[in-house]
This record gives sequence, C-alpha cells and structure tokens, in this order.
Amino acid sequence: MAEIVAGFGVPHTPMFPEQVAREGPQSETAQLYRAVAEHLEAVQPDALIVFDSDHLNTFFFNNLPTFCVGAAERTEGPNDTNARIPHYVVPVAEELARGVHQAGPQHGFDLAVSQEFEVDHSVLVPLHFLTPRMHIPIVPVFINGVAPPLPLARRCYALGQMVRQVVEAWPARQRVAVLASGSFSLEVAGPRVGITDGDWMRTVLRHLGRAETRALLEQATTERMLAAGNVSGELLNWIALLGVIGRRRPVFLEPQMSHGHAYGVWRWD
Amino acid sequence: MSVYQVDKVCWRAQHDPPFRERLSQDPAGALAELPLTAEEREALLAGNVARLYQLGAHPYLLGHLSRYGLFGLTRESYGRQMKALLDTPAEQARARLAGRPVA
Repeated sequence: MAEIVAGFGVPHTPMFPEQVAREGPQSETAQLYRAVAEHLEAVQPDALIVFDSDHLNTFFFNNLPTFCVGAAERTEGPNDTNARIPHYVVPVAEELARGVHQAGPQHGFDLAVSQEFEVDHSVLVPLHFLTPRMHIPIVPVFINGVAPPLPLARRCYALGQMVRQVVEAWPARQRVAVLASGSFSLEVAGPRVGITDGDWMRTVLRHLGRAETRALLEQATTERMLAAGNVSGELLNWIALLGVIGRRRPVFLEPQMSHGHAYGVWRWD
Repeated sequence: MSVYQVDKVCWRAQHDPPFRERLSQDPAGALAELPLTAEEREALLAGNVARLYQLGAHPYLLGHLSRYGLFGLTRESYGRQMKALLDTPAEQARARLAGRPVA
C-alpha cells in the first residue's frame, strides 16, 4: 500500500533562482531551500503531490477550475517569463493522478482534470531548488488561490484529506510526499505591493507551528487572506497539505518575514 | 459588463508574442477589432491601470502590461498608479482587515 511519508511547504518567489545564483549557497534563501531539500532527499519519496495555485498562466478566465488534477505522462515549463530558470520537463505520476481524479466523486470532490498542460514558475521554482534533477514524478493538484471567489479553507483541508485516503488505498507500494507552494502575505502588482502583513504572518506561523489546524481554518477566510495580499490565497495550498498529513507539528518552520512566506517540513519517520 | 476582454488583452500580452508586438507597435490598431467597451479601450490606451483595476481587471494580469512596457507604462508609473489607490474606499476596507505591517 502507498503511504504518505512527509510534507514540505516553500515559496516560489520568481527572483529567487537568479538571486541565489548571484549570491551563492551561503545566502539565506539558498540555505532555507537546501534545508528543505535535505529533508526531501532523506525521505526518498517515489512521488510528490504538489498543491499549487497557477498564476493565470496554465489556466485563464476562459476556463478556470477551482480544483484540477494534472494527469499526463509529463509536464513542462515554465510557461511564463517571471523566473529565470531552465526549461524543465517533469514526469507526472500519471496513474496516481488519475486515481485521485477517479476517486474524487466518491469522496465528495468532483475535480477537473487536465491531460495536457504546462506549469508556471509557481510549480517550477520550488522544484528547481528541491528536485533539480526532476527525477521524482509529481501529481499536480491546482487550487485556485489567486482569482476570487476562492474555495474555503475547510474545503481545501478536506481536499487534502481526500488525497490522503486515495493514497492510503492505493495498491502500489509507494512512498508519497506532499509539497505546498505559496506565500501567506504577498501582493503582486496591486496597491498593497511591498506591504507584508506581519500580524497575519505571526497568526499563520503560530497555528502551523502548534498544529492548531481548526483555528487556522477558522481564521483563513477569503477576506482575511486577501487583506494580507492579493495572492495570499496561496495559503490554501498549505492548508490542503495539512489535510494530507494530519494534525502534526512541523519539524522545521522558518519564515522570511519581510517576504511574507515560510519554509516548512513535516516528518514522522 | 465583464472586464474579461481586458484580462484577455493582458493575458495575450504575456502568452501571445505576435499580439504583444502589435500592442507595442500600434496599440489602437491591435485593440481595434476587440470587443472592449469604450471605457476599457480608453483606459488601456491611456495606460490607466488604476481605472482598469477598479473595473475589476486582475492585478496579476495587469502587471504584464508594465512588464512589457505597453501603453506607455513603466514599472514606476504602474506602481505610482496602484499606490494612489490606497486612499480609495475599497482599499481602505482591505487595510482595516489587514494587520500591522512587518517593520
């Protein structure tokens, strides 16, 4: 049977790859990604479920899913120009992705599916730092965290719970890890650019650190997240991750306060 | 009235290089055949992203316009227009919900 072995949360700031290339491995950002990458290497997952909010690159308002599973043989990108990273081809754990899509309705989730898709920097900046060889197949699960109306936090948590049930019922012996991509307080190209919501950061970090999931779900309303920044709904990816891994405290949780995001690791091996 | 067509212009500015080139060379011509409202067309051609934001265009998409220097926008002029919106009721309502900023 497949099992969930670890969870990871990181930001996907587009300028980080270039900045780290310039400032070297001792820079704060390089060290934080490396700390997460070392945990990921240690648990040796066979597949990586990636909760991600596409930035209106893969999807657009002509056809915008709230939840969508990417089930193809592979994906590639970035399909945007924000981050200076190589063009990557990433294998997809297609069978498991199909399994999530197929099992969804029985668990109350009628998911969209895409069988041919590219991904933007929000998937590939994390993978650029964490799995640069792109050797671990991913199961992309897209959550609309950027274009209101956003799904409720408790719905995203339930989505994570559903994914865990599918993985745990999966017949193949696979070690599956989960990755959440996104920030907690970030405004892109809006009026509040450069204003990081410190109170909201501390609230989110406290709840994550103490595994106070219920409190986090209650606090993370759409209005509160969007007050912290117009893409702060990316927190929903972390909330879905919590649904997968259950009520656990992180073994590593390090913020970059001024950026409005954090790096987290959940392990229990 | 949906602001969809404005969002679409912004999306194509990022994902449709020939269209981006036309927007750059002949903005009015590039928009001519698109079903924009008069107000949307005027705001786009004037680089009035503050107005487009207030009409409901997605800021992430609007940002593509300054990234590519379209409609006379620069990162600086874009940022100035957006900052000026902080005094509007909608943004003040957001600010009231927000917490203290990181120092």
